[in-house]
Amino acid sequence: MIKVLNLSKRYGQKDALKDASFHVSRGEIFGFLGPNGAGKTTTIKILSGQIAPTGGTAYIMDMDVTREQSRIQANMGIVPEKANLYERLTIEQNLDFFCRLYNADRSQIDYYLHRVGLLQEKSTPVGKLSKGMKQKVLLIRALLHKPSLLFLDEPTSGLDPASAATIHTILRQLNEEGMTIFLTSHNMEEVEKLCHRVAFLNEGSIVAAGTPEELKLQYAARQLRVLLEGEETERILEIDEPQTADAVAAWLRAGKVRSIHSSEPTLADIFVRLTGRDIQ
Amino acid sequence: MSTRRVLAIFLKEAQDIRTNKNILLMYLLPFVIVIIYKNFIPNMPVGFVLSFGLMFLAALVGMYVPAMLIAEEKEKCTLDVLMLSPATPLDIFLGKGLLTFVSIIICTVILIFVAGSSLSGAAPIIVGMALTAVFCINFGMIIGLLAQNQMATGVIGTPLYMIFLLVPLLAQLSDSFITKLALLLPTHHFFNMLRLVLEDGKGLGETINQLAIILASIIVSFILLLVVYKRRGLTQDR
Repeated sequence: MIKVLNLSKRYGQKDALKDASFHVSRGEIFGFLGPNGAGKTTTIKILSGQIAPTGGTAYIMDMDVTREQSRIQANMGIVPEKANLYERLTIEQNLDFFCRLYNADRSQIDYYLHRVGLLQEKSTPVGKLSKGMKQKVLLIRALLHKPSLLFLDEPTSGLDPASAATIHTILRQLNEEGMTIFLTSHNMEEVEKLCHRVAFLNEGSIVAAGTPEELKLQYAARQLRVLLEGEETERILEIDEPQTADAVAAWLRAGKVRSIHSSEPTLADIFVRLTGRDIQ
Repeated sequence: MSTRRVLAIFLKEAQDIRTNKNILLMYLLPFVIVIIYKNFIPNMPVGFVLSFGLMFLAALVGMYVPAMLIAEEKEKCTLDVLMLSPATPLDIFLGKGLLTFVSIIICTVILIFVAGSSLSGAAPIIVGMALTAVFCINFGMIIGLLAQNQMATGVIGTPLYMIFLLVPLLAQLSDSFITKLALLLPTHHFFNMLRLVLEDGKGLGETINQLAIILASIIVSFILLLVVYKRRGLTQDR
């Protein structure tokens, strides 16, 4: 669905994106992770044809993003980080406007509003909505023309947990219906819940990529933490040591094990280890 | 260019300006001026009152409204999503310009009523206003392209509004440099045309010189708009 090779973008003397290469398969939820200023929004803007790259190539559905923007844009939806809705217009007027622009079926407005629980609010001016509600309206606006690829830039940034959970549920449903989703985030929990594959972006460069499970295994300490009956601190055992298996088996047979954990890092731990900085 | 998309933008703007206080105030101003001149200044000729109101309508509304419509979309980043939609820059210019144009023509007819003038001789006034409005809308679009936000439209636009509005009015009072400067302005020729029609009872055929100058100004303003658009674009690479 998306193929990116050595993509770069320079603003004056500053590299916003440096030789980024990655791919996103059809039907995948792909997470682009990084702290603020890492180059996530720049990547979305290049892929959506809003800005031109300084170097490299990017293809969406085998179409060059710098040459076939209108064909690509017809097949993609974008949920930007900033709620760029017409604040004086109602939810319905906002969505109706985009239906008219795309010549899309206007009955979808009520369908999607019902789906996100905003049907009763459709006559409310957007300026009076909460951030979570606006985010849902942005999501609907991006879906009206039935795109096959959806870009979301920090879709739940600043949302309360309930609104974020609703957005996550909708995204999972859309993905199950076949939509490819590319999302940027600095929320590791969100990414672990939603994404099939992720890429870590730091200061414009991709420092690691893979499925969350692959990355966790790759950067795991290969240790076991075991808490035994009568002890207050966990024992740390090296998985690759030959005596570890015997010791654990013996403790299990003797019924002495209170808890046992493998030491897999979180995605946030991996990011800190790779970059030396916190993702938040 | 697509008629469907132009009309979609036209409809959106029509819905939006109904609650846009800044823009509604601009539409109100010519009516307030006409009502004050008509009712509170004794012996003021109806033709002069109407000419005055129509000048405000053309120069202020014609330039301010499209400038604000474009600058607000830039400021609130709604232009970004519009540019990602099938709408082309031409659709956007035409949709916004059409809304301003239609509203000016409607306001012209209402102003004629409010000023107490007869609609029977309104055809030349409406033709002159239509042409002057197109010129002013082009200039308003240029201001909108140059301004990064709504506040900047005031900084860039106010000197222009003053030139296009005040110079023709001041030129009526004295024969000086201002008169020579006024000859370069289509709003001056529109004002002269209004006086010919409203005060001297001239018809459309007798104002052909003024109309030709305004028409030529439209071509110049259109070329200027193209040049500014080519240089600045609708959205900047940020």
